Amino acid sequence: MDFVFRLVSQLGPVAGMVLKAIFFSLLGIFLLVAFIVTRRWYRARYFRRLNERTFALRSVWDDLVAGRVPAKEWRLKPLDCDIVEAILLDNIETATPDQLQPLLSCLRNSGLLDMRIREARISGNWNRRTALVALGRTRAPEAVPALAEALDSTSEETRVAAVRGLGRTGLPGAAVPLLDRLVGNELKAPEHTIKNALANCCRKSPGVLISYMNKSTGQTRELIARVLGEVANAELGDELMILAADPLAEVRASAARALAAAPPSIALPALTVLVCDDEWFVRLRAVVALGSMRHQGRVRPLIRALCDRNRYVRQRAAWALARLGPQLEDVLEQVVDTRDSYALQAFVSELERSGAIERVIAALPESGSDSSAGNVLLDALNAGRKRVEAALVSAAAAGSR
Amino acid sequence: MRRILDLANNTLFVYYLVSNLIYLVLLVTALTKNTLHRHRLGSLRLERLKNSPFTPPITIVVPAHNEQNSIVDSIRSLLTLDYPEMEVVVVNDGSRDNTLEELKRAFELRPARLLYIPDVPSAPVRTIYTSWTEPRLLVLDKDSAGSKADAINAGLNLATSPYVCVVDADCILEKESLLRIMAGIFSDPSRVVAVGGIVRVLNGCQVEHGELREVRLPRRGIEVLQVIEYLRAFLIGREAWAHFNALPIISGAFGIFRKDLIKKVGGFRAHAIGEDFDLVVRLHRYLQEKNQDYHISFIPDPTCWTEVPSDIRSLARQRARWHKGLLDALWPNRDMLFNPHYGRVGSLILPYMWLFELFAPLVEFVGYASILVAAILGLLSHQFLLLFLIFGYAFATLISIGSVLLEEMTYRRYSDWREVARLLLYCLVEHFPYRQLTMIWRLQGLWQYLRGDLKWGELKRVGASAGA
Repeated sequence: MDFVFRLVSQLGPVAGMVLKAIFFSLLGIFLLVAFIVTRRWYRARYFRRLNERTFALRSVWDDLVAGRVPAKEWRLKPLDCDIVEAILLDNIETATPDQLQPLLSCLRNSGLLDMRIREARISGNWNRRTALVALGRTRAPEAVPALAEALDSTSEETRVAAVRGLGRTGLPGAAVPLLDRLVGNELKAPEHTIKNALANCCRKSPGVLISYMNKSTGQTRELIARVLGEVANAELGDELMILAADPLAEVRASAARALAAAPPSIALPALTVLVCDDEWFVRLRAVVALGSMRHQGRVRPLIRALCDRNRYVRQRAAWALARLGPQLEDVLEQVVDTRDSYALQAFVSELERSGAIERVIAALPESGSDSSAGNVLLDALNAGRKRVEAALVSAAAAGSR
Repeated sequence: MRRILDLANNTLFVYYLVSNLIYLVLLVTALTKNTLHRHRLGSLRLERLKNSPFTPPITIVVPAHNEQNSIVDSIRSLLTLDYPEMEVVVVNDGSRDNTLEELKRAFELRPARLLYIPDVPSAPVRTIYTSWTEPRLLVLDKDSAGSKADAINAGLNLATSPYVCVVDADCILEKESLLRIMAGIFSDPSRVVAVGGIVRVLNGCQVEHGELREVRLPRRGIEVLQVIEYLRAFLIGREAWAHFNALPIISGAFGIFRKDLIKKVGGFRAHAIGEDFDLVVRLHRYLQEKNQDYHISFIPDPTCWTEVPSDIRSLARQRARWHKGLLDALWPNRDMLFNPHYGRVGSLILPYMWLFELFAPLVEFVGYASILVAAILGLLSHQFLLLFLIFGYAFATLISIGSVLLEEMTYRRYSDWREVARLLLYCLVEHFPYRQLTMIWRLQGLWQYLRGDLKWGELKRVGASAGA
């Protein structure tokens, strides 16, 4: 020690500072290494115990769920309680409606559900968020009020956990607090999270979204419309027709997407109109919806979309047309009739991508001239402006000679 | 002479002190941010993202130049990633080996006359191939322009998705990495324009058919030292800078970008040496000039495993190239330096990059030289030098161990305690002579750039599977 003091006095105050820095650095190194080693040891011990208890509880799992093993035997032991809850929640996530009831009963009768509801209401920060996540996974209707309360939290993390939790319940009733706050402009959470939660909750009853759409304006209306576009089903046909004429482009686009699920008698006329919309993304959605329909009437609007001024709309129409199967030769003729070189390029390009081009070439007139027919398509792709119709005729003539 | 030496020594002392303090701040920030991120992951369910209809499609662009050893396994691995809608565009950048033939054989490629619109310029495209067996795969064969950036640009032109993920051909992504990295976008899609994931060292790991089977520490010391460097750079540096919204780089090995934005800034700079750094700086520039509220993010859990050089010569070339790339990206953007228009990027990160990254080997070299001169002239205080060296050693070790701690507290990829012990041991020995060698390689890089030698240089690769 004397040496150190002598050294410091020799070298002045800067050396003293450096010495202190060395001391704290070495102390830091020691503490970090000690922490790493201790943590490793503790975790190894914890996981060993966790595995043992998991094995023990799994061996009596059926009795435990049925209540034959009294809850008091595991409920008051923190580790056992965590393990049982984790297994229950995992099982609930993949359970069919029949399997769900006994699992939920176990959660209720053991008091685990009440414990989580209480934590979600009175705990702070991480404990509250953990409880919200667990409540969402329970898929229990009782969890909804506690999750809804957390939507008003001042912490964004907590609100996000609550939105995710409500979405995870998958219950139509869980959509109501979300939509109430959304319409009242009181829900502050990432849009993607809200959309996913609403989609999960409204998948079985999308009608609830329509009533809230009528109450909302601007961005909220667009958001709800986007969700509706994903979850709409055939029962919403008439309402979708009204939305297809909405002044908001985003709503029209979502209606176009949703119309894919409606019966063709309703969807086709509406989509034929939407294919000519002023906004390119509305036309794009309409083309996508037409592409997913199975109706002969879709070919004409798709060919119109193939001549669209927007590249993405053309490509998507070509994508849908190139996957029409046995009608491809007829479609090729109709595309040629449009005399639109961009349309032809897009179509041939998609034929290439789908791998259908070989079949179309083989089916062209006078199949003896395969290579010439292939060249026609190649020329069409390379030159774009070439009159394919004329080329086809000359190719056929060459074949017959 | 004495006064000059004193001045040099004092300057170096302050320089070293400031750089260490910055590292300390970065370490504490990264620790806090990592812990918060781990908690956040608790409420995130990846299956939900995977099944969500709102998850946007992604195009993975894979530039490949002479990658015959690993390309097929890499692409197979990419095609098995968990993501609802994606396409993989492999760009064969004029490979002189059998890269294209390997791809043709493995995926039954056939030439296809697809629309190719060169929104961003690149060297001429020879042929575009589609696969009979894998509809999500496109292979673009093009002339080599001698840069990875040019190959990525060609891939961008063929990409059809709103987000583009750039992945090196010799890398292996973990199955959930795309979903995990996209979670960064979903948190705020209107603000987050690009996200970087972590890159880890593949050497030593067990790989089977392009899939990572077991994570292990490499056997060779030179590779273990790079493991520590990668942990320090990603878990401390990137994490902390992203927290301040001043992330200067998204690794070229694994990052995701909004495609429209890359096209708006003109794509990757064709002849950039450090194309990843260059692009991110230009993105910052563009968005700051447009006064946009944006965030360039880093997420530490989506993992990309990459093979690092296992011999000194390749490592030297790589480090020289990285330093060339640094200067190559900083110099054209020098007008951003201390320019208040560019916010934290101009006033914080770029000065840091100039001062503590670009000039670091120069300063270190001057430091060693001044010590030598002072010793020759008999002006050296041996005790003070000793204290200063001990301090430097202890502090740098503390930071390195901090990165191992971060790894331990968060992702724990090295599960065997003996491997952690090895990592800690290498934290103690990395300062000599590895650090000095790195300094020399980086100086070589600077010299090469100033001489106009802008070549990439070949790296010797053994292929991922061989690392097992």
